[in-house]
Amino acid sequence: MWYRLRIPLVICFVMGLLAFTQEFIPHPWAGAFRQEMTTWFRIMGGFGMFLGAYSLLHMHITRIRRKMLGWGYSVFVFIGASAMIVSGLTEEIIEAVRPYPQPDAFSLFQWLYDYVQVPCGATVFSLLAFFMASAAVRTFRARNAGAALLLVAAVIVMFGRVPMSEYLGGLFGAPGLFPKSADLLMEYPNMAAKRGILLGISLGMISQSLRILFGIERSYLGGGD
Amino acid sequence: MAAPRGNTKWQTLARYVAYLVVAVAVLVPYVLPLPLTFKPSDWAKKLYDRVEALPEGSAVLFSFDYDPAAMAELYPMSLGLLRHCFRRNLRPIVMTHWPNGVGLCKQLVEKTAEEAGKTSGQDYVFLGYKPGGSNLVLNMGESLQGAFDRDYYGKPTEGMPALAEVKKLKDIPLVVDIAAGGTVEMWIAYGRDRFGFDLGAGCTAVIAPDLYPFLQSKQLCGFLGGLRGAADYETMLDKPEDATKGMQAQSLVHVFLIVLIISANIGYVWTRVVRGPED
Repeated sequence: MWYRLRIPLVICFVMGLLAFTQEFIPHPWAGAFRQEMTTWFRIMGGFGMFLGAYSLLHMHITRIRRKMLGWGYSVFVFIGASAMIVSGLTEEIIEAVRPYPQPDAFSLFQWLYDYVQVPCGATVFSLLAFFMASAAVRTFRARNAGAALLLVAAVIVMFGRVPMSEYLGGLFGAPGLFPKSADLLMEYPNMAAKRGILLGISLGMISQSLRILFGIERSYLGGGD
Repeated sequence: MAAPRGNTKWQTLARYVAYLVVAVAVLVPYVLPLPLTFKPSDWAKKLYDRVEALPEGSAVLFSFDYDPAAMAELYPMSLGLLRHCFRRNLRPIVMTHWPNGVGLCKQLVEKTAEEAGKTSGQDYVFLGYKPGGSNLVLNMGESLQGAFDRDYYGKPTEGMPALAEVKKLKDIPLVVDIAAGGTVEMWIAYGRDRFGFDLGAGCTAVIAPDLYPFLQSKQLCGFLGGLRGAADYETMLDKPEDATKGMQAQSLVHVFLIVLIISANIGYVWTRVVRGPED
């Protein structure tokens, strides 16, 4: 049926064109349209969170049902999610029916956040130091001239960023040598490379947006071409 | 962390020794502080000076866009910035784009406000979290009270003394985004360039290299990169705390990693000399 494809394409084209042109129209209607549209986007974003939660839970149910490798970890997803949802909702309900506000009341939700989620999150991220040590032993090799250059740059930046470099440089009368060298590497070669990547990404986004606007790119509709 | 296949016993042992040394290098400076001092970086100084230059009573919007995973680097810089604002009698407006970051923001705001004897709604506002990302920023640019009709504690933002004369983003002279993701670019594109406020940023060390183009183009007025940025801010506030202590641990770990990289490469070159080049 033609309208199942055409109607979403027409909606996409019209909304895309309106969103683009309102930027160049200095009329209160254009401002009101932008305000209305961004509010709608935020409402849809709220629904997107439900969709994300459903997708996450569905994936873990499948892992448990099929007894896939590491399915035991999926059980903890449900334990954690249930604990937070139940404690949060219960407290909201109690707060709503309480005749007078009690700001200092014990909050299980906040307790779980402070003493479970915060330490667990910080612990997982801190493992990065150990992975870096492992990578330093196994993979950072000067296999060719390019890799050697990258290694030297990495060592200068790593050393220049910590106070030890100022201390050791100071012993030789040049405390600013390594920090300045690290700054130079970051502000020139690094910045030039990042700017090139940014320009490439931006041009890619513009061309992809035009492809979606004119109905050439249709993969977002699902079901392939 | 199981040993990968094909590794020799010595390589596996070397990895475990490396883990042990990293653990010791992190712990030692907390027990025996090292006499290390450092000069704050130019970009950190610029952010500090921008906050200093604001007239008393000015509003400063903080977007703390991170969760507990990035807490070690970003919490100390957030703490420093809020303390600086309260010390200068500025009016911080705090929000987050990350739902997992609300609890941290609450801790931060309540801790610093209590230290400075400030009152919610009167001297500062904690807006909490709203979904929308760039659309939320655009909404705030049109109407702050429209985007956040109530603060985190449920009080209406309309008529709130801390938001007096702040109706939209262009009424705020300085916005600072402390980010563990790509929100700084979002604030630049949809906030700073559109509504004309000054934007400062703080981020994890991993993201810092991505932001240098925006420093050169002056789209960022100041910048704190990683734990070093936080330590720089603590030094300028003359209140050395967790980030300054953390820099000592980071010093030892970085030096150890450099020694590891150099020694592993000497071993690699030696192996190539003895066994001949790789295929």
